[in-house]
Amino acid sequence: MKLSRAFLAATLVIGHCSLALPFAHAQEIPPITPPGLKVPNVRLLSLGGTISGTATERLNVTNYGSPRLNPEDWVAALPELALFAKVTPEDIRQSKEGGDADQPHMLKVARRLEELAADPSVDGIVITHGTNTMVETGYLLSLITNIKKPVVMVGSQRPWTGLSGDGPLYMVNAVRVAATPAAAGKGVLHAMNQNVFPIRDVTKASAYRVHTFQGIDLGVIGVADPDIVKFYAEPTRLHTFKSEFNVAKLPAKLPDVEVIYTYNGTPGYIVDAMVTNGVKGIVVDGTGAGSIPGSMNDAIKRAQAKGVIIVATARTHGGRVQETPRRTEAKVVPGDNLPPEKARILLQLSLTKTTDLAEIKRIFDQY
Amino acid sequence: MTSSALLSLRAFFRSSTRNSSTFRRSLLFVGVCWVFAAVASTTAAELPTVALFTTGGTIQTKGAHRLTLAEYNSGRVTPDELLTDLPELKSLAKIEVTEISNIGSGGMTAELLLKLAKSINTTLARPEVAGAVVTHGTGTLEETAYFLQLTVKSSKPVVVVGAMRPFTAISRDGPYNLYNAVRTAATPEAAGKGVMVVLNDTIHSARFVTKNHTYHVETFVARELGPLGFVDSDRVVFYRNPLVRHTAASEFDVSKLETLPQVDIVYGYQEASPAPILALTESGVKGIVYADGSPSYAKAFLTAQSKGVVIVQSDRKGAGRVTLSERGAGRGIISADNLNAQKARILLRLALTKTSDPRELQRMFNEY
Repeated sequence: MKLSRAFLAATLVIGHCSLALPFAHAQEIPPITPPGLKVPNVRLLSLGGTISGTATERLNVTNYGSPRLNPEDWVAALPELALFAKVTPEDIRQSKEGGDADQPHMLKVARRLEELAADPSVDGIVITHGTNTMVETGYLLSLITNIKKPVVMVGSQRPWTGLSGDGPLYMVNAVRVAATPAAAGKGVLHAMNQNVFPIRDVTKASAYRVHTFQGIDLGVIGVADPDIVKFYAEPTRLHTFKSEFNVAKLPAKLPDVEVIYTYNGTPGYIVDAMVTNGVKGIVVDGTGAGSIPGSMNDAIKRAQAKGVIIVATARTHGGRVQETPRRTEAKVVPGDNLPPEKARILLQLSLTKTTDLAEIKRIFDQY
Repeated sequence: MTSSALLSLRAFFRSSTRNSSTFRRSLLFVGVCWVFAAVASTTAAELPTVALFTTGGTIQTKGAHRLTLAEYNSGRVTPDELLTDLPELKSLAKIEVTEISNIGSGGMTAELLLKLAKSINTTLARPEVAGAVVTHGTGTLEETAYFLQLTVKSSKPVVVVGAMRPFTAISRDGPYNLYNAVRTAATPEAAGKGVMVVLNDTIHSARFVTKNHTYHVETFVARELGPLGFVDSDRVVFYRNPLVRHTAASEFDVSKLETLPQVDIVYGYQEASPAPILALTESGVKGIVYADGSPSYAKAFLTAQSKGVVIVQSDRKGAGRVTLSERGAGRGIISADNLNAQKARILLRLALTKTSDPRELQRMFNEY
């Protein structure tokens, strides 16, 4: 087993060091496992999503839903998966009717991921998810699971039954990435539209287009091309096995953190209402470079007086919120280049460890 | 406007520049003081040494007046002028200057590239030097940066910098770009990331970056792979490590090279003639990179290959790999991966100093 893995890693034309075979075998997708070698084992976990949705008409690509595919259905529909991996499906949905899973369920998913990753017979993991919030789930998982094996998130923009559905190719490519040794150690990955992103740096940027997932500031780290899966870069921010957070050490419920979108004249009562509801942190999605409108200043000070931590992100969808003397004086933590929905998750985790502003800033600098 | 009016306008701008320089410097000094407080709390004694290699380019070019943003041709800026113009550098590093040339990037030659790489290698071998910065015209900056990525024998930071607006222009970008390039070269975290290109607050890998616009300041982009990091006021921040083979891990050695094999580029389009391929072959070219093909090319490539010319397939679309294929391999055509034609040409020139075996050449295009 160990030998064959090492041989796989050394011989395949994948990853950044393509060592042995300068030419792939065919223009079409070739199997990544040379004949005679053990096929990697990939676990396919379903958290549902559009990729599991169906409709009776092929042209229905907006109003789809039940009946939803079970994870076995994907494997049955895609015999090509067997070229790349032995795929074992597993249903980890909170509800078979669709809809978002809640955070306690995500912690369960994280624990299951760690179990699977610890199983020596598992080489990689694919998780399906609805595209709207998949990168929030993925970012949480990347921060709280101590895993080196490839973990790949996938979804689709069109339902499984849709005309020119994008799901089948994404599913094949997600399994290919999860079966690629070079995908290990790079944190939770996102593989759709033939791109591979670190989950931290990718955002849904279009409601319906198939190229919806984009890195606003940053680019892909790899590609799932017709011939090979190839990586060009790795993320430097901390994740998975380098993270100081772990699901085993988290409370059953993470501290409440909410997000406020800002605009000219954003009223302070939104802040007050959150504080009344017991929020421990607020992410303010500021204008420009993370500016908090003056109309909120008094309410922000009232919240801080009650110990609520304020993090500033930028509604510009790109660019870091920087450390500045004025921001430091206002006791506002800069949210780096995270969008507010991801800053919320990092602040929730930070607050399980500390309420020290300098320490929270360090965490936002590193993750 | 008459030529005498132009002359007096030029004289006015020159004198006003001179008169306001003290005020401008003091303003700049106040403006960046708190930045220094955040990023450089070191004293002069412990400042890192950054080696500045100047080759020229728009960053070292003067225009007739402040609104000359194109066709600027009124003199060149010496390395001394660059440094005098930017006293803020003194708080970042001890700058040691080597002038390689003072030309536009269109004039860059194999001889100058080799001189530059050898000079950087000699300098970075000295333990007290923290990193290197190279000024360059932006037109072919990505080619020189990628050449250095393949030939610099050091993991110390090497940053190539330029400007989109000349030294004399209104809202010129050069000074901030140069300041940020030196900051990046002096940043320990920048080591081991290969050669970087810094303009417009953005740190790009020489391998991934390309010039994407004729005049905008955000011209340098990596369409698929994105930047490695950013140079912000509070800190130099990285998000990516490139995984391609480069610098200290590169197999290419320029120490004994005096010139490079001739390699040229052929563009592909509808009804393209094979004549350029045949003419290049006649002229003794060692390699041809083509950016998209044309049906007429297939036969011409066979003629070229029969004379020992190596053919590399790149693409004119600007993003995405040329996938590895049995058909291409069978025809002895090398895939350029996702290198654009001008960078594939640089790699092929260096690769041909080592081998002309297609399988070995393909390995190099897969790895670098």
